[in-house]
Amino acid sequence: MDDQLIITIIMFVIMFPILMTAVIMYGGQHSDKLRNFLSLFTVLITFIGVLLLYPEAVSGRVFEYQLFEVLPGLAVSFRLDILSYCLVIISSFVWLLAAIYSIGYMAKEHSQLRYYAVLIFTLGSCLGIFLAGDFFTLFIFFELMSLIAYVLVIHEETAEALKAGYKYLVVTIIGGLAIFFGVIICFEAAGTVSIGEGPLITEASSLAWMAFFAFLIGFGIKAGMFPLHVWLPDAHPVAPSPASALLSGIMLKTGAYGLLRMVFDVFSPELMQAINLHAVMMVLGIITIILGSAVALTQDDIKRRLAYSSIGQMGYVVLGMTVFNEQVLTGDIFHIFTHAIMKSTLFLAAGAIIWKSGIKKVSGMAGLGRQMPVTFGCFTVAAFAMIGIPPLNGFLSKWSLCLGFLEDGYIFFVVILLLSSMLNAMYYLPIILPAFLGKEEIEKDLHVDDEGPAFNINEASKWMLIPMVVLALCVFLFGTFPSNIPFELSNMAAKFLLTGGF
Amino acid sequence: MDLISHFPVILVINLFIFAFAMPLISRRSNNWATIAASFSLILSFAISITLLLKVLDTGAISYYLGGWPPPFGIEFYIDYLSAYMLIVLTGMGLLIFYYGTASLPFEIGRHMVGWYYTLYLLLIGAMLGIAITNDLFNLFVFMEISAIAACAIISIKKDRECLEASFKYLILSAMGTGCYLLAVALIYMITGVLNFDMVREVLVDNIALYPNNVLVALALIGVCFCVKAALFPLHVWLPDAHASAPSPSSAVLSGLVIKIYAIALIHLMFRAFPLELFYQVPLTEIFLWLGAIAMILGSIFAMTQDIFKRMLAYSSVAQIGYVFLGIGLFNPTALLGGLLHILNHAIMKSMLFMIAGIIIYTKGLKKVREFDGMGSQLRWTMTAFIVGSASMVGIPITGGFISKWYLATGAFEADRPFFIGVIIASSLLNAIYYFPIAIRAFLGEPKPENLPVRPVLKHMLIPVVILTVLVFYIGMSPQEVVGILELAIDKLFAQ
Repeated sequence: MDDQLIITIIMFVIMFPILMTAVIMYGGQHSDKLRNFLSLFTVLITFIGVLLLYPEAVSGRVFEYQLFEVLPGLAVSFRLDILSYCLVIISSFVWLLAAIYSIGYMAKEHSQLRYYAVLIFTLGSCLGIFLAGDFFTLFIFFELMSLIAYVLVIHEETAEALKAGYKYLVVTIIGGLAIFFGVIICFEAAGTVSIGEGPLITEASSLAWMAFFAFLIGFGIKAGMFPLHVWLPDAHPVAPSPASALLSGIMLKTGAYGLLRMVFDVFSPELMQAINLHAVMMVLGIITIILGSAVALTQDDIKRRLAYSSIGQMGYVVLGMTVFNEQVLTGDIFHIFTHAIMKSTLFLAAGAIIWKSGIKKVSGMAGLGRQMPVTFGCFTVAAFAMIGIPPLNGFLSKWSLCLGFLEDGYIFFVVILLLSSMLNAMYYLPIILPAFLGKEEIEKDLHVDDEGPAFNINEASKWMLIPMVVLALCVFLFGTFPSNIPFELSNMAAKFLLTGGF
Repeated sequence: MDLISHFPVILVINLFIFAFAMPLISRRSNNWATIAASFSLILSFAISITLLLKVLDTGAISYYLGGWPPPFGIEFYIDYLSAYMLIVLTGMGLLIFYYGTASLPFEIGRHMVGWYYTLYLLLIGAMLGIAITNDLFNLFVFMEISAIAACAIISIKKDRECLEASFKYLILSAMGTGCYLLAVALIYMITGVLNFDMVREVLVDNIALYPNNVLVALALIGVCFCVKAALFPLHVWLPDAHASAPSPSSAVLSGLVIKIYAIALIHLMFRAFPLELFYQVPLTEIFLWLGAIAMILGSIFAMTQDIFKRMLAYSSVAQIGYVFLGIGLFNPTALLGGLLHILNHAIMKSMLFMIAGIIIYTKGLKKVREFDGMGSQLRWTMTAFIVGSASMVGIPITGGFISKWYLATGAFEADRPFFIGVIIASSLLNAIYYFPIAIRAFLGEPKPENLPVRPVLKHMLIPVVILTVLVFYIGMSPQEVVGILELAIDKLFAQ
């Protein structure tokens, strides 16, 4: 394909969902079917567009295109490289499944039109973040996505949701302003904010420290990094489940992506190490891992437990960025894939459970596994992957991270990872085991025959089951399959970040 | 043609003539008055555009009133900055007028509309005069006209609150102009001339001989413009005045009147005084700190307000702080940010006051906490409100972002990153009081007594929509405006 076509596709996958939002808003007023069709059509076309970019992305070339200049030196531009591509493909994939799931899940909800419109708009802005060619464009899409996602968070419009939403909004704006500060420092220091023109900040100065903390706060808030995670356990669980899956599975990754770009494009690994900025991230990463997993243990609400687990998992990603060797970075980027898939599966499964049975408390789920074997089956696969049981994909990313840590002599980090895996096991197994093996006290409430068989199938609709099953299969495939595309992409991205080519 | 060379004076005089004709015309019918006033405003707007094009084409224009060259006559001097301001004043003036034609009969009664037009045209004319005059005393005259007209368009709504507010404004504003007159006298003692450029030339040579005169004059000017532009801590008149006035008055007062004094101050500083003076006298430093304090405290005051228009008024106190921050940092980039914020804030704040007016008109609601569920009934209005508040916060692709960007980079160039922190803190505070209103409006449960009283008038909604588009236009393609301002600032700093 020639370059012009590639650029067109890049622009298309960003603009198409954003423009289709208006169409959905308009078309959806008349018919629910049309609205659902348009939403699915949009995500599907976007996903196909992203797939078309695959051969070019893996060819190792970088595509850059400047759309227009807002101010001198400050332009809206786009760029496709392998790291962007990794995030774009996983985002559009999970979005597609979440949209399919939504059709089942949202059927009995209110304000569906608003939900779908926002869902599609955030897809476009999310892809815009990943395909941004400079930090200014990244910032624009970051703000757009974060602010619009507010509507997803407060969808239920309960007092609890509004409270969580307000917290989310304030924190988001703080994050946005912090990034604004960081972008200005880069602009002052380098005269440009383009990604991929080598490090923007090359010397250690107070300016470098300020830029670092500005970006760390801005992106760290989004990534749910300690001590900026406070909004996350409130905001993610109150959203509708497919939205939670996207918030936890994908939108958190925009923070991780921003941090990666900061480490490699604003600074350079050498500079980070020279002024010990990586140590700051290491400490925060470790605290995030332990804290997220430990607090998850204490949560009884299943979605809150999953949200805290997300915090713990993002800790891995943050920690992985601080050790600069290929193995670790491969694991790091692969963990972005892994976590997106696992956490989406878990949230979708949790959503199906809540949708079908209305049970949100982990303590009330005993015996449910025998009613909803497919749902809990998916949940189990993803939870095992979280714990890091081979041969699932979670194991592969942890393995890769651990090998890399050992290579550079960070044995302590391996211990942290093992500890965290143990904690993961401690809070996931008490969901799974009683669900399959426990006494089903709740069956009485559900008016199910006491004399009935052990398996009393009562699954959610197929709109909800299919996405879950597909994701659970991915969990399995991307751990075992010999030609593991995400892992190869991660590996290429890691090489690209470290050496500029692969 | 010869007429074109007289455009600078026609620009001002045409408004004054129509202003005085207005009561006569409105005796016949209000519609005739509306048409006449629109004609005069459109004429001024057209002249402003011609002048801007001419300035861009040939450089600054000088015009001697009555053909008398200074020091004997009064000079109008239109440089890039004046031309920019002319467009802002006449353009916004026209939009606010258009809005006013719909809302005024409701707010002040049909029989007062003609008088209101008189005052409004006088006010716009006086502001245009302030923007283009090149004479110390003539500036005073225009300032007085605009102060009287501004007071009157507040007190024209006959209730106790408005009278009290306008009286407060009148007293403080008179003190301000008094200070200015004294400063002019002190400068005239040294120079013997009143033309800006001549004053500067004399001062360059003689400043060392009369340091006290110049210092006192500067201090008086500082106080005068602090009062007039409502810079903290002399903003006390503003919240009462802007909150109680009829909505078009609030829009023009908050959107234009306080800014024009910032422009007059910039004209004085850069044209009537030698630039070196400000590197020795800490006037800009004082503006800088007062601006920064205003940005924070104005927003904090705004957060505590319950009445929507009072909240907007306090927000203006904060926003004028941005403009003075730009002046105070005293470098081209920051000044550009400040000047751009004049336009941005004029757009945003006028829009928000118009929205407040629409809410009062349709539903009779003034308090923020009564706004629940309004979004479903006033969908377009409240969507515009979201755009306006996003611009206030400085979300990218809205105009507010661009001015904040320039202010922040300017703060870096001045090597004072602390003030970026202030900008960021102030933006956050803006978000904290603007966004919950939008949330309340769109997600709150409407109360039964909040049902619409009247439908929105088209004339009220159209200006709001135009301003919404402008917010995005400046946010996404600010190059034209920035280009003009860059020329203006080059000229100011080149002196």
